[in-house]
Amino acid sequence: MQSPVFLDHLPDFEKIGGDKPARYRWQRNQSLLQLLLDSETIWTKRCACPACGEQSTNCKSFSKALLDFQRCTKCNSIFAQRVPTQEKLDQLRIEFIEDGPPEKDREFEFISLLNWVSITEARIERSLDHVVDIRFSSQMAGWKETTERLSHNRTWDFIDLSPDTCDFTDLSAALSQSSPKAVLLPVELDRVANPEMLLNAIKKSCPKQTVLFIASSCADGLEYEILGADSPSFVPLDRLTVFSISGLQSLCNKVGLSVLECSTPGRLDAVILDTHFKSEENSNIPFWSGFFKDADNNRLRDLQILLQRSLKSGILRFVAET
Amino acid sequence: MKLRTAIIGYGKMGKIRHKAMESHGGFDVVVACDTAIDPSATVPMVTRPSDVYDFAPDVVVCSVPNIFIPDLVCTALSHGKHVFCEKPPGRNSSDVQKMITAERAAGGSVLKFGFNHRVHDAIEEAQKLLSAGTMGDLYFMRGVYGKAGGPDYAKNWRNDPEQSGGGILIDQGIHMLDLFQMFAGNFCDIQSFVQRKFWTEVPVEDNAFALMKTPQGVVASLHSSATQWQHTFRLELYLRNGFISVDGILSASGSYGAEVLNIAINRLDSSGNPSPNPELQEIRFTQDLSWNKEVAEFYDAVVHGKPIKCGTSQQALDVMQLVEAIYQADPEWSQTLRTSATEVTG
Repeated sequence: MQSPVFLDHLPDFEKIGGDKPARYRWQRNQSLLQLLLDSETIWTKRCACPACGEQSTNCKSFSKALLDFQRCTKCNSIFAQRVPTQEKLDQLRIEFIEDGPPEKDREFEFISLLNWVSITEARIERSLDHVVDIRFSSQMAGWKETTERLSHNRTWDFIDLSPDTCDFTDLSAALSQSSPKAVLLPVELDRVANPEMLLNAIKKSCPKQTVLFIASSCADGLEYEILGADSPSFVPLDRLTVFSISGLQSLCNKVGLSVLECSTPGRLDAVILDTHFKSEENSNIPFWSGFFKDADNNRLRDLQILLQRSLKSGILRFVAET
Repeated sequence: MKLRTAIIGYGKMGKIRHKAMESHGGFDVVVACDTAIDPSATVPMVTRPSDVYDFAPDVVVCSVPNIFIPDLVCTALSHGKHVFCEKPPGRNSSDVQKMITAERAAGGSVLKFGFNHRVHDAIEEAQKLLSAGTMGDLYFMRGVYGKAGGPDYAKNWRNDPEQSGGGILIDQGIHMLDLFQMFAGNFCDIQSFVQRKFWTEVPVEDNAFALMKTPQGVVASLHSSATQWQHTFRLELYLRNGFISVDGILSASGSYGAEVLNIAINRLDSSGNPSPNPELQEIRFTQDLSWNKEVAEFYDAVVHGKPIKCGTSQQALDVMQLVEAIYQADPEWSQTLRTSATEVTG
């Protein structure tokens, strides 16, 4: 299994620390609050870690935006103790996307995904000329257009976000019809009620040797390790399961997927921690406050690269095969 | 099927090959030969190469100084043995021609040369990217391969042109040239500077610079150095859609660092032009599997009749001709070589 490092410009903290991301977090947390107050919402309690299956009684608990979470003592994944139905989650996301301003300036992220597919295709020496995108095009305006403009050697099918059943009946049907060589899953795994169900649905609906490109938040990331629930990227409705590397590896094994590659290409840990430790209230934390006090962009970049090389940044990517 | 194996030249390389063959499991090393009996050897040893044939080997591994290579390889082939031979393949292209003639005369015997850099993981990954067409047409290549001389540099047989055929270029730079030819084919236009700067009492070059072009217009620049005080391997391939580089190479000494493959595909701006500094994908390799892969390919060729892809006699000839062309392309150096040859022949 290979572990690539993705080196790129360090983003500005405004990307996650500015007004727009803050507004996004408030709105998502408002949706969560409404969900919690709605007596008709059906919640499913998670008795075991959705990644490795460890009993949740052994896990450490904490709370974020009134939703209880646990960190698995076995695999380090973080997960909500209870989740609404998949249909409800999907409805909320659709409403949110429809009401909110379209995402802009994601070209670098899109190109990174396209290059990831191209380089993997060469590495495995197998044509991935037909790819199915799962719901990313609904989340990210401009993604479809980018594939049309820049992905010339493959055809794409886009499965839009729509309210689905807990076992992803509609998604399975669409995948079966499409018969892809590869499946792109950049924003789903941490947002769905049952990640195992989703991976199972994909595995059962795709031909053998279909290559899955999975991205998700990463609980092993320094951002989550240090800030935990205080991390600005920890938006509960978007992070119902924050996988660790070993957690996602366990889940892939359980579902019967072979993992070909894993990486943590996150680029925000250093800038998030920099802002956190430079604030007045956190200016006396041993080691870290001093480390970040005089940190310039070069130091932050060096730290971020070290985190990536150590598989300790806040985003993970897996390439797996059915 | 186990192949009875004789190793001629049981120094560092011979022992590396022995270990790789043991690890493969398809070889039974029945005898080793060197100038002196190694008391720690785990196999029977002899001191005369001709004695290895008393052990009825199927294959002969030739890990000896360059001067002895052609005769030992030709003899082994004439005995109907399959031969695995270290690089460089002798001292010059005439040596390789001799071995090719013997190979043809031997009929079905396999002859493979140990250009192991071709099968290093990072290099294989780079080759896959080229083959898949992901990166587009190859424009140019840069290669730096260098070390800080070596222990007993002046006394080492590698730096005695009578025994080795040349200096750092034929010893180490040849690997980079072999990779250039693997990626781009043969070169037709060659310019060079060959120098002796630090070890001036030694009659071989300690630096060679070459600028070469293929008939298709792919340009390559090489710097092979024995005064690269920080051990360095760096290969860069620039292509239409981006670039690939390999930094470091896993070696027996470990002094060239981990093997790091960097891949970048250009990001195009709205007008379709590449923006600078694209995202770089870096992959580290920490385990040198090249010895095992070479041995496995050799086994498959001997036992299953599969063709040799890396280290054929034609590749050996091509790269030796390129080495010679680089020596010849520097008028001062080629004059030095001619003078030396005249002095030797009287």
